Amino acid sequence: MKIEQIEQYIKTHCSADDYSLHINNRESHETRFAQNGITQHIAGPEAEIMLNVSFGTRSGACMINHVTEANLDYLIQTAEAIAKMAPEDPEFISSAPAAELAKVNNCAEATLSLSPQAMVDIVQKSIDKAIALNATVSGMCEKHIKKTCLITKNGFKGYDKFSRFGHSMTIKKGEVETKVSYEAKDFAPFNLEQEFSRLAAQAEALSEMKAFDPGKIAVILRPEALQELLWYLAWGMQRRQADEGLSPFTGQLDKPCFGEKFNLYSTLKRPEMHAPSFNGEGIPSREITWVESGVLKAMNCSRYWAKAVGAEPLSMYNFYIPGEDSSEDEMMQLVPRGLIINRFWYIRPVDMKKGELTGMTRDGVLYFEAGKVRHAVNNLRFNEIPHEMTRRVLALGSNKLSAPSANLPTMLIDDFNFVDKTSF
Amino acid sequence: MKYLDLAMNAASSLGAEYADIRIQKTTDQVIYLQNLSLKHVQTGVIEGYGIRVFKDGAWGFAHNKEYSEAAVLATVEKAFEIAKLSASVNKKKKLQLAPERSYIANYKTPVKIDPFDVPLAEKVDLMMEVNRTMLAYEGIRRANFYLIMHKDEKLFASTLGTRLDITYQFIDPMISATAVSDTDSQSRTFDEGGHATGWEWVLSLDLIEKAKQIAEEALIKVKADTLGAEERRSLILDPNHLGLTMHESVGHPTELDRVLGWEADYAGISFATPEKLKNFRYGSELINFVGDNTLAEGLATMGFDDDGVPGQKWHIIKDGILNEYGSTRDTAMEIGLNYSRGCNRATYYFNQPINRIPNLYLLPGTKALSPGELIADTEDGVYIQGRGSFSIDQHRINFQFGGDFFWEIKNGKLHRPLKKILYKSCNPEFWNSCDAICDERFWRPFGVVNCGKGQPPQSARMTHGSAPARFRNIRVGGSQ
Repeated sequence: MKIEQIEQYIKTHCSADDYSLHINNRESHETRFAQNGITQHIAGPEAEIMLNVSFGTRSGACMINHVTEANLDYLIQTAEAIAKMAPEDPEFISSAPAAELAKVNNCAEATLSLSPQAMVDIVQKSIDKAIALNATVSGMCEKHIKKTCLITKNGFKGYDKFSRFGHSMTIKKGEVETKVSYEAKDFAPFNLEQEFSRLAAQAEALSEMKAFDPGKIAVILRPEALQELLWYLAWGMQRRQADEGLSPFTGQLDKPCFGEKFNLYSTLKRPEMHAPSFNGEGIPSREITWVESGVLKAMNCSRYWAKAVGAEPLSMYNFYIPGEDSSEDEMMQLVPRGLIINRFWYIRPVDMKKGELTGMTRDGVLYFEAGKVRHAVNNLRFNEIPHEMTRRVLALGSNKLSAPSANLPTMLIDDFNFVDKTSF
Repeated sequence: MKYLDLAMNAASSLGAEYADIRIQKTTDQVIYLQNLSLKHVQTGVIEGYGIRVFKDGAWGFAHNKEYSEAAVLATVEKAFEIAKLSASVNKKKKLQLAPERSYIANYKTPVKIDPFDVPLAEKVDLMMEVNRTMLAYEGIRRANFYLIMHKDEKLFASTLGTRLDITYQFIDPMISATAVSDTDSQSRTFDEGGHATGWEWVLSLDLIEKAKQIAEEALIKVKADTLGAEERRSLILDPNHLGLTMHESVGHPTELDRVLGWEADYAGISFATPEKLKNFRYGSELINFVGDNTLAEGLATMGFDDDGVPGQKWHIIKDGILNEYGSTRDTAMEIGLNYSRGCNRATYYFNQPINRIPNLYLLPGTKALSPGELIADTEDGVYIQGRGSFSIDQHRINFQFGGDFFWEIKNGKLHRPLKKILYKSCNPEFWNSCDAICDERFWRPFGVVNCGKGQPPQSARMTHGSAPARFRNIRVGGSQ
């Protein structure tokens, strides 16, 4: 059954005062390899059809993955039955109204046409290259095509289609482990030779390891590491949480609670990035400035809370931090000593009110001194407050697409707070 | 169901060395109430089948949701083709499957009151009352109640001749209260982590009383002191807290796929490598960890895993020594085991099963010891209840944990409540520092319903358990 047929069926048979129909379809091919062999290999379609209905301010929802008339009847009846039994909701918000949506292109032909055989060839070549280095490689080669649609009784209609290709590689040679990953909507720019060369170079740089004790020290965060911190920072930037006194951003709108060199945007204008035209609530995407020259300009805000406090509903649909032109070599000249961080791992909140996080470094840490990389060091644990950390940004490097929805620069940060170390 | 035989016959005809089909219907109901507002109430039904084909030392897995002979046969062929593609890479790295016999069996989670049969209004009435109870306390700004009900109905067949009919379910109520002061906000949570049982368990919990307790403790916590600089102190950890600690520092490092490096690119590997089996001192002599997928109400108790291997009980750490791993048919043979411990589980029909933590628990102490006696025997320390912040490195060595509620212990007594406490330790230092475990009267299970692992990511469930235990000389202090 096509989307239009589902929409028509719901329109005809749903007796609720209001509804939102959300349809997701995904076709994936995922080849997982480890220690120079394939361990998992998965293909198939997935679907989700979700219906939210309401009678007055009573709401209910149901989700199915089969689309027949009988299944749609179950979907409608179940959602309606739940809504009729639900209590009045003091925070009810009606479904999204009609909206003009930005024209976006989140698909790339090279990804759509990529064959399973071609993906296995990429895996085979990755393994061959690792064997040639007397190393093992583990990773994932994946392709996803996703279609999403939101239709409401109040007239909202949105359709988006996304493609995503990813190839990650973790190499292990002796005690050295490090990783590179390519993740983008477009397969076309992917170059395995370049990716593996980068991986081999990272591994080579890590070959001499010395013990290093934790403490405050300057760090160069590569985009993949910054991205890990940013997910949590963005998660904490919720207008309601702030207004209710639960986050570090209480009372901080239009105040310089970030560093002056820090800017954060969501943008529809960068063709290499995923940019959905709407979010799950039906909030249309537009150009958004979250932080400008360190001043907090906006926070994520649901449609309900926006109405309650007279704000605009906003959703952080992608992350763009404009960089500058400092190279890593130049950054190393700006501080006497420091660490280069490839990635972080297992970041978790420590104190929600302060915005404090903990986490580990992963996949290689390099020590530099007097402008040059000297050797690798063991992995370290940090406890840091990301928005405060941005006040210590000393320099920004050029941008890189670290994920389809994240375009980030390398960042030199002073006095990063490492509190513990591990044995490797 | 006719599709079971159809698929297995087709796989055999194509030349599969092994194949299985798992037809799985997953029904969830999730209700989320926040401050008397029903933020989410949804029933979901996800149904389809996944077919695994093993050919020339490699897997192919294809899934589908369309039920017809043609669709099933096409999915078998797709899985077979994918397996052949995998095998073309695995010529020098062929996987092997541990031997297993066939079973024809049924399993059903024992349930007295099926939560899916309980009217929504009855569930919501209870949740509203719990919310009201917490919001009645001045200073409680937010009251949350999550209720998750989950059921998997699975038909499994393999080319070994196995035919299984499994109905598995669990329920998980979680409530929290958040207090806000002029300078801070702090939450307190009641969360047992889910049991594989029915609505009768929820009724037995007396959640109204629990709501009063956590609201009062949230108000205490927001005004509590924190510790200053980190010092080496004694820790007494309650079972709810220890559940998460053992999950991260014992459960994951003893998953055999991590040990083999199969998670190197994502979830990480393990320090507990095979040469350490039977000789590595993981903990003090008091430390006995048992894997037990037969545990009553255990979240990983489902009769058989998704390899068709029955639930088992075995020592993972025995008298402090690393004894064995949690394994699957395809990981076991990599270290020369000719049997699987039955730890292969998938979340939905469209997931290929992977090596998961079994129900894993710390055996209680063998000498009579109560929590009160343990506190009385502790000069200077911190007592931690419940779960908080948690983070561990990708080899599962260094970790930092918080908690949900804290008491400073001075001269054998609970001296004052604390907040924002963190402790840092590592394997094997931490488990070797355990010098006392309360006895079996105080042993409690604790469920994990959202263990994330794998690519594509899957969420698994398992139960942990322990009695309160003491750990000496651990680095404990306040957060920044």
